[in-house]
Amino acid sequence: MNKLRAFWIRLINTLRRAPSEDFADELEAHVAMDAERGIRYGLSPEEARRQALIRFGGIAQAHDAYAGRQGLPWLESVLRDVQYSVQSLVRNRLVTAVAILSIGLGVGSNTTIFSIVSRFVLRPAPVGDPGTLLSLHIMHDGDRCCNQFPWPVFSDLREQATEFSDVAAYFDLIPASVSGGSEPERVWGQGVTPNFFGVAQLRMVMGAGFSDSEERAPVVVLSERLWKRRFNSDKGMIGKTVILSGHPFTVSGVAPAAFHSIDQIINAEFWIPLGMTPELAAGLPPRDSREFHWLSVIGRVRSGLRRKDVAAELGTIADRLAASYPATDRGNHFVFEQAGSLPPFARSAVLLFLSALSIVVLLLLGIAGFNVANLLFAQAIHRQREMAVRLALGATRGRLVRLVLLESLLLGLGGGTLGVLLSLWSTGALSSLRLPAPVPLNLQVSIDGRTLAYTFLLSVLCGLLLGMAPAWTASRPRIAYSLKQETGFAATGGRFVARNLMVIAQVAMAVVLLALTGLFLRSLESASEINIGFRTRGLLLLSVDPRLNGYSPSKISAFLGQLRERAAALPGVDAAVCSDVPFLTGGNRSDGFTILGKAAKDDPSVLADLYMVTPGYFAALGMPGLAGNDFRQGTASGPPVAVINKAFADRLFSGTDPIGRRIEGGGRTYQIIGVVGNAKSRTLGEDTRPILYRSLDQSIADDPSMMGYTLIVHTPSNPAGIAQALRRAVYQLDPTMAVYNLETMDEHVRTAYVLPRVAAMLFGIFGGIGLVLATVGLYGVMTFAVARRTREIGIRMAMGARPAAVLRLVLRRGMALTFTALALGLPAAWVIAKLSSSFLYGIKPHDAVTFTLVPAMLALVALNAAWIPARRAASINPTQALRME
Amino acid sequence: MSDKPDVWQGTLALMVLRTLETMGPQHGYGLARRIEQISGDLLALNYGTLYPALLKLEQEGYIRSQWGSSENNRRAKFYELTKAGQRRLRKAAGEWKQTTEILARFLDDPSEA
Repeated sequence: MNKLRAFWIRLINTLRRAPSEDFADELEAHVAMDAERGIRYGLSPEEARRQALIRFGGIAQAHDAYAGRQGLPWLESVLRDVQYSVQSLVRNRLVTAVAILSIGLGVGSNTTIFSIVSRFVLRPAPVGDPGTLLSLHIMHDGDRCCNQFPWPVFSDLREQATEFSDVAAYFDLIPASVSGGSEPERVWGQGVTPNFFGVAQLRMVMGAGFSDSEERAPVVVLSERLWKRRFNSDKGMIGKTVILSGHPFTVSGVAPAAFHSIDQIINAEFWIPLGMTPELAAGLPPRDSREFHWLSVIGRVRSGLRRKDVAAELGTIADRLAASYPATDRGNHFVFEQAGSLPPFARSAVLLFLSALSIVVLLLLGIAGFNVANLLFAQAIHRQREMAVRLALGATRGRLVRLVLLESLLLGLGGGTLGVLLSLWSTGALSSLRLPAPVPLNLQVSIDGRTLAYTFLLSVLCGLLLGMAPAWTASRPRIAYSLKQETGFAATGGRFVARNLMVIAQVAMAVVLLALTGLFLRSLESASEINIGFRTRGLLLLSVDPRLNGYSPSKISAFLGQLRERAAALPGVDAAVCSDVPFLTGGNRSDGFTILGKAAKDDPSVLADLYMVTPGYFAALGMPGLAGNDFRQGTASGPPVAVINKAFADRLFSGTDPIGRRIEGGGRTYQIIGVVGNAKSRTLGEDTRPILYRSLDQSIADDPSMMGYTLIVHTPSNPAGIAQALRRAVYQLDPTMAVYNLETMDEHVRTAYVLPRVAAMLFGIFGGIGLVLATVGLYGVMTFAVARRTREIGIRMAMGARPAAVLRLVLRRGMALTFTALALGLPAAWVIAKLSSSFLYGIKPHDAVTFTLVPAMLALVALNAAWIPARRAASINPTQALRME
Repeated sequence: MSDKPDVWQGTLALMVLRTLETMGPQHGYGLARRIEQISGDLLALNYGTLYPALLKLEQEGYIRSQWGSSENNRRAKFYELTKAGQRRLRKAAGEWKQTTEILARFLDDPSEA
C-alpha cells in the first residue's frame, strides 16, 4: 500500500517534471546549521562553512540521488526517447501519416474480422463456468450431424449418466405475442426443463429460475431486454402476471441481457417450463415417442472430469439404449461440444468463410506492412548521416536501435489506434445488417476485450517487425562515408536483394487478394442477375400469427379472409393475397411427393417446398401461369388441389401433362390443377427447387403453419405508403393481434441478398485497399530503386549507353520481379479459390475472367510503376547524374 | 576516510522513525546530529543518503514535512511522524529486536551454536 503510494507520487512527479528548488533550500539550511555549530566552536564563518561542506560530502551527488528518488528515472529515460521519437515522426510528417494510414487500414481490417471470430468462435456461452457445460446431440450412423433428442432418450440419459451432475433439455423456439402496454409484439422464447437455469448456472438479474415442482406451472423467466423494453424495468416484476398469447404467466425471474440462448445465435426473450410449452406451441411431438427429435440438451460435467471419460460413458449409454430399443435407437450415438460453440451443422461453413476472410485481411496487413517497411527503409538510408553523427558523438548502437524500434513501435500503435476506430465503425455497420431467417437471430458483433488485446498485440508485432530492417540499417552506417555525405552502402547488393524479396512478396500477396476479391465480386454480379421468378415492385408484406391469440384454424381462415377484404378495399390496392411464409425467408417446410399409387423405389419422387396460398397469389406476385388454372375461391371443403412449379412438373412428370394428375406426399393426396413458373424458394443461391402450392383454406385445419401467415398486397403506387393503413386494418379486426415483418417486397428481397452482398462488400473493400496499397508500394520501390542507381545510369550513359537501353534495363528488372511474384501468387490464389467455392453464386472457383484480369491488371500496374522512373532515368543528363548524391 | 561503520541498509529508515518518535518534529540536520549522537558517534551518517531516505519515507506516507523556523530562527524543513509511521515503527522495531535477539543468542553462547 505504502509502496504503491510512493510509486504513484513518483509517477506524478515524473510526468509533471517539477524541479526541486525546495531541496536546494533544505541543503542550504543543513550546511548553514552545521556551519553555525562550527562558529560556536570558534571557527571563522568561512572556515566553518568549508568544513560543513566537507562533512556533507558531495552536494551534487545528493542532488542526483534526491532527484532520482523524486521521480522514476527509468521512466524519464523512456519518456525522453518517446519524446524524441515523436519529434522525429512529426518531422517526417508525410511518411508518418502514410505509415499510420497503411497500418491502420491493415490492422483495422484484421480487428474487424477478429471481432467476428471472437464473437462466433471464441466466445463461451454467457453461463456460469462455461468450460464444464456441454451441448449434446444425437448422431445417426451415416447421417449428417446432428439431431436433437426425443423426450424418452433425454430422460434415459439424465437417469443413467454419472459423469454429469445434471442434464437439462429445452425446446428451441416458441413464438408468443406479448400484449399489455403498447402495441402487441411477437416475441420468441424457449421451453425448458425446470433444472435448466440450475444446469446453466445462470445468475439472474432478479428473482430465480424454476423449481422442480414447476414443470407444469404457468411461470416465466423474462429476458432483461424484454423486461426493459416492455415492462419499463419494473423492479417489482417478480410475482406479477404477464400475458403470453392470451395465457397468464407469473414472472419468477429476469435473466441477464447478455444471455440470448445457449447457442448464442437464437434470440430468445422468455423461458417457460417445458410442460407449459404446448399452451403456446401447437403440434408438439408426443413425449413418449422415441422417434420425434425435438429437444436440445445441455449437460453439466462434474468438474475435474475429462472429455474422454464423458465420451466413453455416452458411448456405453448409447449402446445400452440401442439394445433396449432397437427399432428407434439403433445406430444412434451421442456427440457433444462445449455449450455455446457454433452449431455443428454450420461450423465448417462458418469456419471456412472466416478463414478465407482472415487470409484476405492478413494479406492486406502484409501488403500494408511491406509498404511501410519500404518507406522506413528508404528513410533509414536517408537518416544515415544523422545516425553517424550520433554514433560519432558517442551514442551506443543499442541506443540507436532502441530509438528506431521505438519509432516504428509508435507507428504500429498509432496504426492500431486508427484500426480500432475504423473497426468500431465497421462492426457497427455489420451488426446493423439483417439476415434472411424465419427466426430471430442475435448476430451482434462488437469489439470486446479479446479483440482489443489481439489488436494491441498485432500493432506491437507490426511495429517491431517494421522497425527491424531500418533499425539494423540505421545502427550500422559506415561512419566515414556517411559523414562525407555519401550513402554508406550505395554499392552493396545485399540490401537490394532484401528489397526485391519484399516487392515479390507484396505483389504475390496482391495477386491472391485480388483474385479472391475478383471472384467474390463476380459472384455478386451473377447473384444480382438471378431471376427470382416473381416481381418485387409494388408489393407490401405483413405477417400475423393469430394462433398465438388462441384462434382456431377456421377462425384464422376467416380472419385472413376479412383481412384480405379490408386490405383490398384500401385505396390504390389492386390485389391482396395470403401465404404462410413469403419466398426467400431462409427455410421452409418440405415433403417428398410421388405420383399417386407409384410409391415404389424406382418410381420418380420429388422433394418439394410447400407453400399455402390463396386465390390470386400468382397474379399478385407476377408469376406466369404455364398450364391449367389458379385456385378458385370457396374451395375449402372440396378435394385437395395443388399448383406445382415447372421444376416439380419436370422432375415428376418429365414432359407429360401433369394437369389433373394426382400426387401424394406428407400423408395427403392432391390433384394438380395448374403449373406456374419457377421461383427462388429459400435462398438466392439455391438451385431451382420444386415447389408445391396448396390452398391455404384447404390446408390450414389439419396442417397449420408454425411460422404465422403473411398478407401480400399489391399497389401500383408506392407500397410503403399504405403500411400504416394496413396495420390499422389488422387492429380494427383484433387490437391484440401482433403485427410483424411489415415491409415491402423490395426490402424483403434485399435482405435475402445480404449474405452475398456482405461477402462481396467485405472482399471488395479489402481488395480495393489492397490494390491501392500494392500500387503505391510498387511505385515507391521502383522509383527508389532507380533513384539509387542514378549514378550508375549516369556512368553507363557517359560510357555510351543509349536511353532506350537504359529504359530496357530498368524495365526488365521491374518486370522480372513482377513475373516472379505472379508465378508465386497465382497457384496460391488458385488453391484458396477452390476452398471458398461454396460461397460463390453461379461462378466457378477458377473463373477465367478473374484469373485473366487480375494478373493482367497487376502486370500493368507494375509496368507503369517501372516505366515512370525508367523514363526519368533514361532522360538523365550524364554529367548531372554523376554530380548527384 | 573514517573507519566508522556505515549505516546498514534499511536501518536508516528505522532510526529516522524512532528519532522522530522520541524527539518530535525535527529538521534534517537535527535528525542527522541526533542519530550520530545516539550511536555514540560510532556511525558515519552519509548526509547525501539521508535526504533521499527522508523523501522515500514521506512518499510512503510514514512521515510528513513542513517548512518552519529552527531554534536560531533559520528557515528549515521539519519532519514529523504520521500515524502510519508509528505503526510502521512499532512493527519494524519488533522485527529488529527479534532478529538481534536471535543473533545475540548465537553470538553470546558459542557452546550452543
